Amino acid sequence: MADQAQLLPGTLDLLILRAVSLGPLHGYGILLRIGQISGNALLIEQGALYPGLFRLVRQGLLKASWGTSENNRRAKFYELTAAGRKRLREETANWNRLAAAIGSALASQPEEV
Amino acid sequence: MRLLDWLRFRIATLFRRSQMSAEMEEELRAHIQYRADDLERSGLSRKEAERRARIEFGGHVRYKEECREAAGGVFFDSLLRDVRFGVRVLRKSPAFTVTAILTLALGIGANAAFFSVIRSVLLTPLVNREEDRLIYIQQSAPGTQVDNATFSIPEITDISRNLKTIGAIGTFSTTDFTAQGFGETREIHAGVVDGGYFEVMGLKPVMGRLLDARDDGLNAPGAVVLTYKFWATGLGADPNVIGRVIRLGSMMQVRSATIVGVLEPSIPYPAETEIIANIVTSPHHLSATMVQGREHRMTDLFGRLAPGATLKSARAELRTVYGGMTAAHPEVYKPQDHFQIDARRLRDQINVEASTILWVLFGASGLLFVIACSNVANLMLARTVRREAELSVRSALGASNAAIRRSLLAESLVLCASGGLAGVLVAIPMVGVLARYALRYTVRAGDLTVDFSLLWMGLALALVAAFFLAFVPRLPSADSSRGLGLTSGSNRFTGSSRRRIRVFTVIQIAASFLLLASAGVLFRTLLSLQKAQPGIETGHVLMANLPLLSDGRTPQQVAQFYQEAQRNVSELPGVESAATCMFAPWRDGRFLTFALQFSVEGRERESSKEDLRARFRFVSPGYFATLGIPLVEGRDFTEADRGGAEFVVVVSKSVADRLFPGQDALNRHIMWTDPLIKYADISPEPRRIVGVLADIDDANIIPQPNLTIYTPFAQGPIFGANLLVRTKSDPYTMVPTITKTIRAAAATQPVEHTSTLQDVRMEVLADKRVNALVFGGFAALALTISIVGVAGVLAFGVSWRTREFGIRLALGAQPSGILAGVLIDGVKITAIGVVAGGLVGWGLSRLAGNYVPELKLPEPLLLFASAAVIFAAAAIASLLPAARAARVDAVQALRAE
Repeated sequence: MADQAQLLPGTLDLLILRAVSLGPLHGYGILLRIGQISGNALLIEQGALYPGLFRLVRQGLLKASWGTSENNRRAKFYELTAAGRKRLREETANWNRLAAAIGSALASQPEEV
Repeated sequence: MRLLDWLRFRIATLFRRSQMSAEMEEELRAHIQYRADDLERSGLSRKEAERRARIEFGGHVRYKEECREAAGGVFFDSLLRDVRFGVRVLRKSPAFTVTAILTLALGIGANAAFFSVIRSVLLTPLVNREEDRLIYIQQSAPGTQVDNATFSIPEITDISRNLKTIGAIGTFSTTDFTAQGFGETREIHAGVVDGGYFEVMGLKPVMGRLLDARDDGLNAPGAVVLTYKFWATGLGADPNVIGRVIRLGSMMQVRSATIVGVLEPSIPYPAETEIIANIVTSPHHLSATMVQGREHRMTDLFGRLAPGATLKSARAELRTVYGGMTAAHPEVYKPQDHFQIDARRLRDQINVEASTILWVLFGASGLLFVIACSNVANLMLARTVRREAELSVRSALGASNAAIRRSLLAESLVLCASGGLAGVLVAIPMVGVLARYALRYTVRAGDLTVDFSLLWMGLALALVAAFFLAFVPRLPSADSSRGLGLTSGSNRFTGSSRRRIRVFTVIQIAASFLLLASAGVLFRTLLSLQKAQPGIETGHVLMANLPLLSDGRTPQQVAQFYQEAQRNVSELPGVESAATCMFAPWRDGRFLTFALQFSVEGRERESSKEDLRARFRFVSPGYFATLGIPLVEGRDFTEADRGGAEFVVVVSKSVADRLFPGQDALNRHIMWTDPLIKYADISPEPRRIVGVLADIDDANIIPQPNLTIYTPFAQGPIFGANLLVRTKSDPYTMVPTITKTIRAAAATQPVEHTSTLQDVRMEVLADKRVNALVFGGFAALALTISIVGVAGVLAFGVSWRTREFGIRLALGAQPSGILAGVLIDGVKITAIGVVAGGLVGWGLSRLAGNYVPELKLPEPLLLFASAAVIFAAAAIASLLPAARAARVDAVQALRAE
């Protein structure tokens, strides 16, 4: 837990979209899934997840419906809408460009300038 | 549309709120349970696991709040909070709050009240069945200045034969009866109708039955229907009134009639009457004069459109039929008189006078609303600027623009809701006043009540004002220079606010100028009317109506009675003289301006084309002396000028000048030649001129040139009389004595409508006076609000420029120069406003001129006067802030920033 990185502002939405894109999940499931796909490297405060979820629902990127979980608890399941899928594609591309640019900037050597 | 969607979403979330809250709670609790399950699996006790899960989750309440905000359900929640905050903020500046609320209350109240009146007078349907198919048919003759000539029986017969577009025709004419059976014998206003009238009008009885086919014709028994108002107020809603027999006297005859029913409350048109009777009750309606006289017009014509017919097709058919009739009688329908026919929906006909006036006044109150809103907007702007530090801090602390806007909206909602509420309270009594006012122009205002539309209108206006006001102030913009706003004197959005304030002030002044100029026109008309001298003694002359009693007396006996009454009254102590005449000056409307054709003996050959017409007056000896009209030459009538004696006349000076220029008019002869005289029982015999009288005008308030011929009252015909009594002291104290004296000669003789001639004139002026007062009231209100506005703007400008003034004073500027600068600033704004108002007014009057042809532009002098008033007001309003600017202490001002 000590090695977990602080989340950059704005990246939580992207992670949620990505986690849900792999299949409908309830809130706790999304948290576990993010942990799983990021190799437990990111620190997400548990409560902070929910405002993000509500915001994405309101923006029409996620769709929520009540259902029953594997251990018979009533839970709210989230899945991607078409708009959410599109947003995930765009944001992923954006992120990759940004990461590549920052990565190459940080890797530059004095003689290359 | 976007605004609507937004509102719908906000409102939906508002109602979903409790449900959403429960679901959120459940979702978050489920999360903690899942986490606890996992922790339990790693070996903790359930209790410990749940505790840890809750701790890891963090601030439960905070996240819930954030979720709600993220879900968008918070708008009204926060608005409520903002409203509470707004109330607290507003309570801290009571002067601003009270001014704003009062201003809004005036604007909203006036509009809500006018809207209520317009709605019930102009927009609600009549009670008549299928009232949109009910039409009023009107004959007019612009060539003789007759707008509504009504119809004669032969005309109605000609027109209504074989009409296809109009299913049925109903006729109505008014007459006065001397009625016995309703308490004291008195004159009663009645409508006389045919058997189809009520069916055409589509009205129902509240008791008994209405008149129908069985009441038509010469052999039907006399029958009357009471109008609701007369039954309810005059007879105390007597339930046993049906079947009672009353006696109706007219034309020296008395007929009896049975009360058969009571009419439902309905709009009386063309005249308000107490009873409506069938034709046999009125001997006049059965006479040859009425039945055969093509020019004996006294009947109003109503129709009901046939199924499938439209107003347009009915008009077209009426014109065709009418064209045929006028072509068949060219001697009656002379081409130069331009006889024509038209039809209108009854609803529109009733409101013909009122609609223009009401819409104009509604426009004026609309202007007042604009002024009120602009003024409050100004106050708000000035306040926002003063609060910009607070707003900047809130913005810097992370409040979004939406949040700030919301709190401004909350404040303006509080203001406008209070203003609206106060406005409705103001409006409720105003509706009563307005209804009495509107009653002068339309009978429909008679049954007007305050209803919920008033409340809705007030609410709607308050909302409009609230949204407008909330979006007036500019917010600190979210650009990169945000940081600067806090430090550098926070003048950043002041410039644009100042501009806006000036714009609103200009609007206010323009609107005030418009109202002031309109009020000026009306006041000027009123003034010139009040200044007009009638040429008649009016203050000490009492007039009383002595209607004709039809109790079997011969015309000679009637004439004797009136003579006796006059003589007895003139011998009373305190009475200087008394006289009788047939027409009441100023009061008897249409009769007074009606002129009959006449000719001069020995002149008719040479000028047969000349259309000589004169007004006709029947007056007793002493009439001229009582009214103080000087005889130019000749003599007054004497008691010897009676029925059977030589026919004599007195002519007005203009008659003598026109007919006998440079010659002596005395002892020449004139005679009435008008075809109408046979209906009025006026003899066509030559009449000798025995006197020439100074010109007066007893029909118009401002004397107009006219030809008048006076004939002796005793030479008839007599349809009734007005007694004129000139007294030495206050005429009204004489009323009981005069009444007693007349009753001594005829115990049942009614003595009605007693008032001095001066008051009769004032009654005629009442309309104009009320018009001028209403507009004057509007203008005064508008001016007051605008002055507050101008003063506010300048005061704001001065406080904004305190530092500048300080520097200028420090550099040696004279305080008088600064004072003049502020004054000039105020005058400049006013000038722009006046010019704008003038331009808008000019445009509006051009536009309105298309609908209201009699509309006149005010004369330049009046415009200058209105402008001067506004300039003076603005200068006074500028003085206070200007004085403050000149007193600025340079050191203080510089230190303040």
